[in-house]
Amino acid sequence: MQKMNEAQLKELEQDLDAIRNDVLADLGERDAKYIRKVVRLHRTLEVGGRVLMPFGFIPPVFAAATLALGLSKIIENMEIGHNVMHGQYDWMNDPSLNSQTYEWDTVCTSDSWRRTHNYEHHTYTNIIGKDRDYGYAVLRLSDDVKWHPGHFLQFINYILLTVLFQWGVGVHELESERIRRREISLKSKLPFLRDFFRKGGRQAFKDYVFFPLLTFPVAPIVLAGNIGANLIRNLWSSTVIFCGHFTQDAETFTEEECVGESKGHWYLRQLTGSSNFTGGNWVHLLSGHLSYQIEHHVFPDIPAHRYREMSPRVQAVCEKHGIRYNTDTFARQYWTVLKRIGRFSLPDRVRRRFEAQPA
Amino acid sequence: MLSLLENNGALRWLGKQLFNREDPAAFFDPLLASIDPMLVRQYVPARVVDIVDETADTRTFVLQPAPRWQGFAAGQHVNICIDIDGVRHNRTFSLSCSPRQWQQHGTVTLTIKRLPGGRVTNWMHDQLTIGTTLGLGEAFGEFLAPELPEPLLFIAGGSGITPVLSLLETLAADDFRAPVTLLYFVRTQADVIGAERLYALRQRWPAFTLTVVATDEGRTPQYLSDSHLDAVPGLSARRCYLCGPQGLMDLAGDLLYHRGIDEHRIHSTFFSAPKAALPDDDLGGDVRFERSNVSVEASGDVALLEIAEAARLSPKYGCRMGICHQCSCRKTSGTVINRVTGKASGPGEESIQLCVSVPQGPVTVDL
Repeated sequence: MQKMNEAQLKELEQDLDAIRNDVLADLGERDAKYIRKVVRLHRTLEVGGRVLMPFGFIPPVFAAATLALGLSKIIENMEIGHNVMHGQYDWMNDPSLNSQTYEWDTVCTSDSWRRTHNYEHHTYTNIIGKDRDYGYAVLRLSDDVKWHPGHFLQFINYILLTVLFQWGVGVHELESERIRRREISLKSKLPFLRDFFRKGGRQAFKDYVFFPLLTFPVAPIVLAGNIGANLIRNLWSSTVIFCGHFTQDAETFTEEECVGESKGHWYLRQLTGSSNFTGGNWVHLLSGHLSYQIEHHVFPDIPAHRYREMSPRVQAVCEKHGIRYNTDTFARQYWTVLKRIGRFSLPDRVRRRFEAQPA
Repeated sequence: MLSLLENNGALRWLGKQLFNREDPAAFFDPLLASIDPMLVRQYVPARVVDIVDETADTRTFVLQPAPRWQGFAAGQHVNICIDIDGVRHNRTFSLSCSPRQWQQHGTVTLTIKRLPGGRVTNWMHDQLTIGTTLGLGEAFGEFLAPELPEPLLFIAGGSGITPVLSLLETLAADDFRAPVTLLYFVRTQADVIGAERLYALRQRWPAFTLTVVATDEGRTPQYLSDSHLDAVPGLSARRCYLCGPQGLMDLAGDLLYHRGIDEHRIHSTFFSAPKAALPDDDLGGDVRFERSNVSVEASGDVALLEIAEAARLSPKYGCRMGICHQCSCRKTSGTVINRVTGKASGPGEESIQLCVSVPQGPVTVDL
């Protein structure tokens, strides 16, 4: 990683804090209106999708209802749930938008998410061995992990992970790889498992039992539509998240590098470990502004719709300190993710020979 | 129909499963609010139907709560919630009307004085308009009329008159026969709140004696003294009600104590203007962790998370540097300074991060 001395890191910290403080001081009506508008859009899409779904025996209605419900889940998970749980709207003091009590529309419990994502992933970002979001203990994405023949199949794992993403995220805190290595006992995870089954059951009951049965004669149509909506959300959210940290140039770190690190070093790690992608307004909305993953990692508790206007200032700070600001189109960033998954499925010897060739 | 989601056990359970929230009916609020703000379920909405000037710095707000509001007893107060510049503020005010007004006309009144530097009271005076809605909590408080008729003495100061107005009008309407005296302390005669109502009560209710003391109008300030109490006939048999600024309450409490009035017969309701936070105020204060029923005294630049841990509580926490919000919880009262921003919080209920919040004066936390 970029080497900077403590004085430079201190300056970086001050530069980024200045951006942060300016936005914090400006939070108000505009931000409240924005998130309430998004919540209203979510309710409209969800209610609309659910009401239309039973009429899905008309093919265009089926497509519209499935899309509406899928979009509603995407918006709820990405722009509302994820951001609210980061505490981005705690300052509004609205109990419905409170980071500690918000429960989102996905299998993963909010409590588990706040532990594994808000705390572990955002504090130990891209530190191999500490940030379990790096490859989700399923994918090998850097040579810090020793290769074994099982990795040949990791592209299949990737497809499974992205299709079943909400279940993967839900079961993430089980740390099954550590249980297999006997570092922790299954028994210590019983409270987690109880919560996982309760929330997973609740989500499955809602989409796969209750709403289909409620509309009994057309139950198969409603079931298919609900599965489709969940699939749309799974594919999109996993893709957005993968583009945030697994792109070609997103850096990884060792535990030794980060022992007793300063706030400036934490900032540097967030800047170099994350990557952005560009797109239209709807791309930013549907990604929960994780299209500005760098800004999100530097300022995780600032309302995400502000990242767009903070981005030029963050880029200027990066330029000043000679730090690479990793951004590109969505398609190109995603392509580098796929290449990374493919490359690291190969033994190091083969991969190096492959990398030596000009692309 | 949505009330079923709140009150029917089975439907409420189902609603929680479907909408992933403890208050499932409020799931539809964003849609309902755009039809009519009076339909929301998250709080009981109340519409401002009239605003009346009382004095130069005091106004009465006439509110029409949604019918599901539970009503109140004279002398009680309510929490209201108001969104100002995107931030929801909760404040407690006394209801200044009699419960009859709610029963007969479906309205209630809050009589509110501008506090210097107070964000909510000033906003209500300057920005709140007829037709807008705010949130109204259920009434609470023990500043209640006696169950059986007995002689009463009310001592009120400034805007502390508001629950007393509610009590007096209720007693008068019940044709309360025992003698009732009100000693009302105001700066000048022009500062009398509810003047018309008080003078009308004096006209039509023979048991009622009204003494208004304008403290600033004489050559020397006139505070509550023994001579005021001497003028109250049969003082020792009276049940006493105190509501006003802290100085007046302390003074009245002392004088009544020296006259041997049993403290069980003295009712006072907490009334003190939230102190505006000053940057040079000392940090620290009495911290109360409500749910754990633990109170500790803290001093200096120590964050609430450390204070809680020193008190052998184990709140959830993560980064301990203000990033991850794992330790966020509700502060129900008091002011804290955010160590990261250096900013002071408001005095009301709001969400704070324990790891970077340093108490400034007494603080109560829902932990």
